[in-house]
Formats: sequence, C-alpha cells, structure tokens
Amino acid sequence: MKGLGNKLFLVIAFLAIAGYYLQFSVRYWLEERHIATLETEAKETYLRENNEKLESLKDNIVNLGLDLQGGMHVTLELEALSLVKNLATEGTDSTLVSSLASAQSQTITSDVDVVDLFVDAFEAKDANARLSRYFRNDADNITRRSTNDEIRQWLKLQRDNAVTRAIEIIRTRVDRFGVNEPSIVKQGANRVVVELAGISDEERVRNLLKGTARLEFRLTADQEDLRTSLERVIASFDKEINTQEGDSTVTSKENKFLEVFAPQGQSVIFGSAAGPDTAKVNAMINTSEVKKLLPRDVQLLWTAKPAFNGDNGIPYFQLIGVRERVELTGEVIEEARPTFDQFNNSPEVSMAMNKEGARKWGRITGANIGKPIAIVLDNYVYTYPNVQNKISDGRSSITGLSSIKEAEDLVNILLSGALPAPLTIVEERTVGPTLGQQSIEAGYYSVLLGLFIVAIFMIFYYQKSGAIADLALILNIVFIFGVLAAFKATLTLPGIAGIVLTIGMAVDANVLIFDRIREEMFHGKSLLAAIDAGYSNAMSAIFDSNITTFLTGAILYSFGVGPIKGFAVTLMAGIVCSLFSAIVITRMIIDYLVKDKHSKLSIG
Amino acid sequence: MRIFETANYNFISKRNVGYIISGTLIALSILGIIFKGGLQYGIDFKGGKEFVIEFKSDVVVGDIRSALTETFKSQPEVKNYGSNNTVLIRTDVDQDVNTLKTAINQTLSTKFPDNPGSIEKTDNVTARFSEDLKWSALQAIVASIFTIFFYILIRFRNWRFSAGAVLALMHDVVITLGLFTILNDILPFSLTIDQTIIAAFLTIVGYSLNDTVVVFDRIRENATVHKSMEYSAMINRSINDTLSRTVITSGTTLFVVAVLFIFGGEVLKGFSFALIMGILIGTYSSIFVASSVVVDLAKNKTNHAKS
Repeated sequence: MKGLGNKLFLVIAFLAIAGYYLQFSVRYWLEERHIATLETEAKETYLRENNEKLESLKDNIVNLGLDLQGGMHVTLELEALSLVKNLATEGTDSTLVSSLASAQSQTITSDVDVVDLFVDAFEAKDANARLSRYFRNDADNITRRSTNDEIRQWLKLQRDNAVTRAIEIIRTRVDRFGVNEPSIVKQGANRVVVELAGISDEERVRNLLKGTARLEFRLTADQEDLRTSLERVIASFDKEINTQEGDSTVTSKENKFLEVFAPQGQSVIFGSAAGPDTAKVNAMINTSEVKKLLPRDVQLLWTAKPAFNGDNGIPYFQLIGVRERVELTGEVIEEARPTFDQFNNSPEVSMAMNKEGARKWGRITGANIGKPIAIVLDNYVYTYPNVQNKISDGRSSITGLSSIKEAEDLVNILLSGALPAPLTIVEERTVGPTLGQQSIEAGYYSVLLGLFIVAIFMIFYYQKSGAIADLALILNIVFIFGVLAAFKATLTLPGIAGIVLTIGMAVDANVLIFDRIREEMFHGKSLLAAIDAGYSNAMSAIFDSNITTFLTGAILYSFGVGPIKGFAVTLMAGIVCSLFSAIVITRMIIDYLVKDKHSKLSIG
Repeated sequence: MRIFETANYNFISKRNVGYIISGTLIALSILGIIFKGGLQYGIDFKGGKEFVIEFKSDVVVGDIRSALTETFKSQPEVKNYGSNNTVLIRTDVDQDVNTLKTAINQTLSTKFPDNPGSIEKTDNVTARFSEDLKWSALQAIVASIFTIFFYILIRFRNWRFSAGAVLALMHDVVITLGLFTILNDILPFSLTIDQTIIAAFLTIVGYSLNDTVVVFDRIRENATVHKSMEYSAMINRSINDTLSRTVITSGTTLFVVAVLFIFGGEVLKGFSFALIMGILIGTYSSIFVASSVVVDLAKNKTNHAKS
C-alpha cells in the first residue's frame, strides 16, 4: 500500500530526528558515568582532554531545571524610582519627593509601569506642574521647555538603559565568580531573572547580585553631639504606664526602643541590635521625629558585619553615626585587590585611587587626623578607622571582612562597575542538590510506573490493539524527549508531572478510536469497515478535545514562570506527540496487520 | 471485555439530581472558603520566606518552633515536610535571607547539637512579587475560560455549548478550590494554593473540557444522524455512547495521577491531589452538568440550532 509506505517513512523520519537529538543526552550521560568512575587525577586529565567534546555535547542535552539539579533562581528588580530621583539633577522638592513616595506605595498592588505611576502621581498633585523643573539633559534634548510626556518617555528610556546596563554588570560579576552557564534574562520592564545551577555558596551570590557597588568615603558624626542625640532619642520613647493595683495606681516605665536596642554612645557607635531586630529598629528611627533629634546632616547606618554574637549565637549589628555628605565615591578607585592585613593577617581589599581621587583623599585625611572616616558600601559601614596621618598616595583599604572569598567578591563588584540604581531581590528560590536528586528519582519512578500501569490496562482491556497502542505510547515518550531536546527546553519536576499526565491522556485518542471501532462492529460492520469508520468518526472528537487542552497549555506557558513553564511545555509537546503516535503509528500497524496480513485483530 | 457496551442511562431526565448535588457541593465549597477566611494561599501568592530543613534523624516540630520563635522574635510556621526528619519553616520576618539562614543554622546547632540539619530549599517571595504572581494567575485563568468559550463557539457554532462547557469547568474549579481550602490543615500535606496548583487547575480545565468536548462532538454527530429524535433524548444518547470512553480515559489518567501522588515526592503532593480531585469532579461534570446545561438552555427552542 502506498499510504502505508508514506506513513512508515514519516514515522522513521521522526524517529531518526528524535534519535539524533536524544543521542547527545545519552552520550553525555555515558560520559558523566565514565567520569564518575575516574580517580581525581585521571578525572582532571580526562576533563581537560575532552573539554571541547563535552562542551559541545552539553550544548545539546535536555537541560534539567534548577528544581532538579539544584541551584539558585533569583529575580532582581531595578529600583526605578531611586533612578528617577538620581536623574532629578535640578534639585528636588517636596512635590517630587511625595510623588515618588506615592508611586512607591502603589507599586505593590499595581501592574502599571512604575515610571507612569510616578508621572501620574505628580500630575495628580498639580495638573499644571512641569517635570522639566527637575530634569535636564542636554544630550537627549531634555530642556526647560520639554513637556511632561517627553520627560515620561525619556525616563522610561533611561530606565531601560539602566536595566540593560545592570544586566551587563551582573553578567560580568557572575562570569568572574565562575558559574557554569548562567542564565541572565530581562523580565518585564525592570526585572532581571538570574539562574545559576549548582551553587554551593548562595550567600556570596546574593551579595554579588544585589550589591550596587556604591562605595563612599564619609566623615563620621561628632562624638559629643551623637551621645546627646542618643539620650534624647531614648527619652522620646519613654512611656509611663499606669496600672490599677487595688486602690492605688502604680506607675511603671516602659521603653519600646530599649527592648530591641542596646545604646552605646561611645566613639561613633550609636548602639547595637540583634540581627532579627534591626528591621524594628529601622522602623523606629526612620521617623521624622527621631531624625529631628539627630545632629544635623548625620545619618545612622548599620555595620555590614555583626560586631559580636550574643547568646544563642544571634549576631549583633552596630549602628554608626556618619555624615550625610559624601566626600569621595568609588569612581576614583582605579585598582583593587584582595590582600591580607600585614599585622593581624585578616582579609581586606586594598584600593588605589586615580590622581584626582588621591589629591582629594590626601586633603580629607589631612584635615581629619585622629577622627574616624567611614567606608560605606551600599549603605552599610564596612569599616571606620581612625585616621593616623595624611594619606597622599591615594591608598585605602576595606577591612572587617570575614574571609578572603568575601574580599575577592568585593573586588569583583568594585571593578565590574557601579549599578545605575540599586537592585533588590524580589524573589529567590534555592534548591539543594540532594533534594534535586530526590526529585529526579521520584519523577523517574513515576514515569516508569505510570507507563507500566497504563500499558497493562490497555492490553487487558483492548488485547492486541491495546498492545499496539502501548507501542505507540512508548514511541510517544521518545518523541516528547526528542522535542524537548530539539527545542532546548528545560525539564522541571512539574515538567515530568506533565509527561506522566500525558501518559494517562495519550491513550485517550486510541481509546476514542478503539471504542468507536467496537461500536461500529457492534452495529454490524465488518472489521475492515469498522476500522475505517472508527478512525474517521473519532477524528473530530480527538481533534477538538486535544486542541482545547493544547490551548490551555499555551496560556499556561505565556503566563507561567519557571517550573510552570516547564509543565506547559511538556504538556503541549505531549499532546502533539501523542496525536501523532496515536493517529499515525497505530493506524499504520493496524492497517498492516488487517489489510496486508489478514490477521485477526482483537479489540477486546 | 467492554464496559457500558449497551449503556442507556437516563442522565438527562434525572439532571435535577445532578443540579442538586452540584449546587450543594458549590455552596459547601463557597461556605468553606468563607468560613476559612478566604483562599489559603501558599508562599507564591502570600509572600514570605520558607526553608526546608532536613535533619539527620527525626525531630519534634514543636521543639523547632519554640527554638526559632526565640531567634526570630516571632512565631514561625513549622510543619513536617514529607517525612519526620524534614521540616518546612515559614516566616514573615523582614530580614535579609543571609542573616536569617545564619540565625537558623546557629540556633539549630546550639539547640540540637546531636541532630545536624541542613537547609535544602529556600524560597523568598516579596509582597510585591507575590502580587504580580497572583495577578498573572488570575489572568491565565480568565484567559483560558475566554479562549475555551470562543473555541467551542467557533467549532460548534452554538453558544449553548460554550456556556455548558464553561459552566462545567467553573463548577470543577470552584469545587476543587473548596476542597483544597477545607482540607488544608486536615490532611497531612500542604494544600495551600500556589503556582503549581494554578497549573493543576488549568490542567483540570483542559482535561474536564476534553471529556465535555467528546460528548459535544457526539451530540453534533447524532444531531445529523438521529434527526427525528427529541433533543434531550438525543443528548442523552450521546452521553451514553461516549460513556465507555469517558470512564476509561478518566481511569487511565487517574492511575497515573495517583502514581504521581504516591511517588512524585512532597513537591508534587498538592499538585497531584488537585488533579485527582479535578479529574473525578471533571468526569462527573462532563456527564451530569455540561450537557444538562445545553438541554436547559435549548428548552425553549423546539428546533435546535443548526449544529
């Protein structure tokens, strides 16, 4: 039969294509097994000699999602509003600040572009107010006469550029960190999704990703003033509580601030708080009332590292009084390298400044001998050494680091350049390698067992025809993996669930056809006629029911993220493959058996 | 062997029974959701931080909770995760993940020095991000319902079919949601609603529709074959014609989903549970709800629409 030949050719062609794409995965898997048996030295030699081959295989294998191989998935968001604030070079006023604040509060629930939120909030305050009061850029032709809409577009453009630049910087940092095949992609208007496989030290990665690298050299608060302020701040939280005890009123004192904060007031240290309490302390001191009690142009910043550990091993951080004015920024740093302190051998980053920076640094240190100068990175105080004498060669160092690794990462961040605006981690998921391995095993057994049960049932219920459907089902799974490999899709745990589900649903087309054939035979048709009628009559139901499931899969794909996308992909691939294997492959075998071989086909 | 070979059940004439059962289930689901104070969201839609810690040997959940309450200065949710030596910790403490992890590790190693644990899984979702996830999940569900309505409208050229299909699948999703909400905290695994559950719901939608469409397809066919037959009788005939297929496919799918539920690991527990419930309810609704709605909507028409 001519039709049969064509179908056979089609099936073999598809099998060959699937086989071609899958052989990479199989070969890579064999290589990995081989490598696992080697001794350390032999392994290194083998890896070196076969590097090119392994890399090219790896490019073509079915990738495992982070939930299966372990790793880190981080979504970072560019703080667009702080970028807007930085762009307001003509100075800020209360209208601008309150517009930014109102946009900020709306971002939590709103789906609207944050730049639009800001401009709308600004215009809502005063319809005639002009943004050109704050923003000016000669190169981009943003002038006094620019309309609000022009500035809106310009701000969006700046935001887009900032995200692009942030991605470049993150890529540089991650590359220097040495992660295998990182995936860094933009998501939406101001988000970046970073996926790193097999990360063992998440803490470092976290710091690496979000560090703005805004390095600042600042003077510290006057110690006398700071101590006076501290007393006033504590007093402001004093509260008298009157409780009725019998007939008399007992007055007791309560101070919510002192419950979470241990005041110090010596040197430039305001006090300290346990790690879990720092957020509460921030909420208490970041009010306008408390700010009024602080010395003018003094800001309180936390130390980057815990100063000491309390009972239970809870880390305590110190709050340091530093000047708001920034004397020098990281832009003057020309060279940075990780070293060890020559006296106590603790890790540090040693930096060298350019000429202009060195001149300024000399002036600053010269004028502040005997006083502490704070080195602040991304609003955390790393170190605040006392200036011993004037430093004129532009050298400085960041001390107080916990390990040489941290020093290396810091150097990486400093040299990759500063981010245009801070990035915050809005979502983060980490899966350890053990859990990933367990998930792989769970998925593997589920697929096998699901396949086994369905296959047995089909043979039991449809006999010989059922066995043919089973063959199609197995080929179907080969096709699904072939499609995943060909499209370089990522296999996730929900993705495996999608395959298992497909196994259950894939037989549906055959069930529809076989039931129809039985029905036609029941109505008195011959086997041959019943097969033809069964296939053609079942087709519209198969077609419509699969299209609708495929459509929900497509919707899931376009709205879902991460592992869910993996599920949608395997579901869609499963539908397409199962249609092919159920309609083309089983038909071909049944036609061959019945028409050419004239053998009896049992259909239960 | 063949089940339902000469099936001839009177589904349509007894459709009021179906309506009463479905109505009761939907009412119970809605009441259950209200009683529980709304849907029980998981971390994806609620935000917060979750840590899965695997210990060397079994642990008592209460001990870990009290140890960590001291460290966090607020009480975290702690429950077993799959096995007795693994716990899931959930907290809303506003703290850097690094600091939290250090604090957890230090607390556990001082409080339980003989039973070392390691953090196997960390999830941190901020409020801002969870709102976005919620929004896109809602969009996905609404989009799929619309798509299905229009697809069926185009293929079957009859809005009654669209209405029947969409009502049936909303029925499925509402009851599954209700079951989830009511059974959460009762069953030994978490049934909170997160992204994977939304994926399961959309699969249920697709699956339930699959069944419904097969019945509708037969109605479409029988409408031309049995022209003289009364409309409701013809629809009843179609349900019976496809009954064997409906039950078999639901059966094979239930098998594999049960396999996933038992062997798929803790991550897929809620997901596969949703699918099991959804397939059962979806099969029921394809037989008892979708076609019944079509019959009732077409009641006033003697001559049914050209299908």
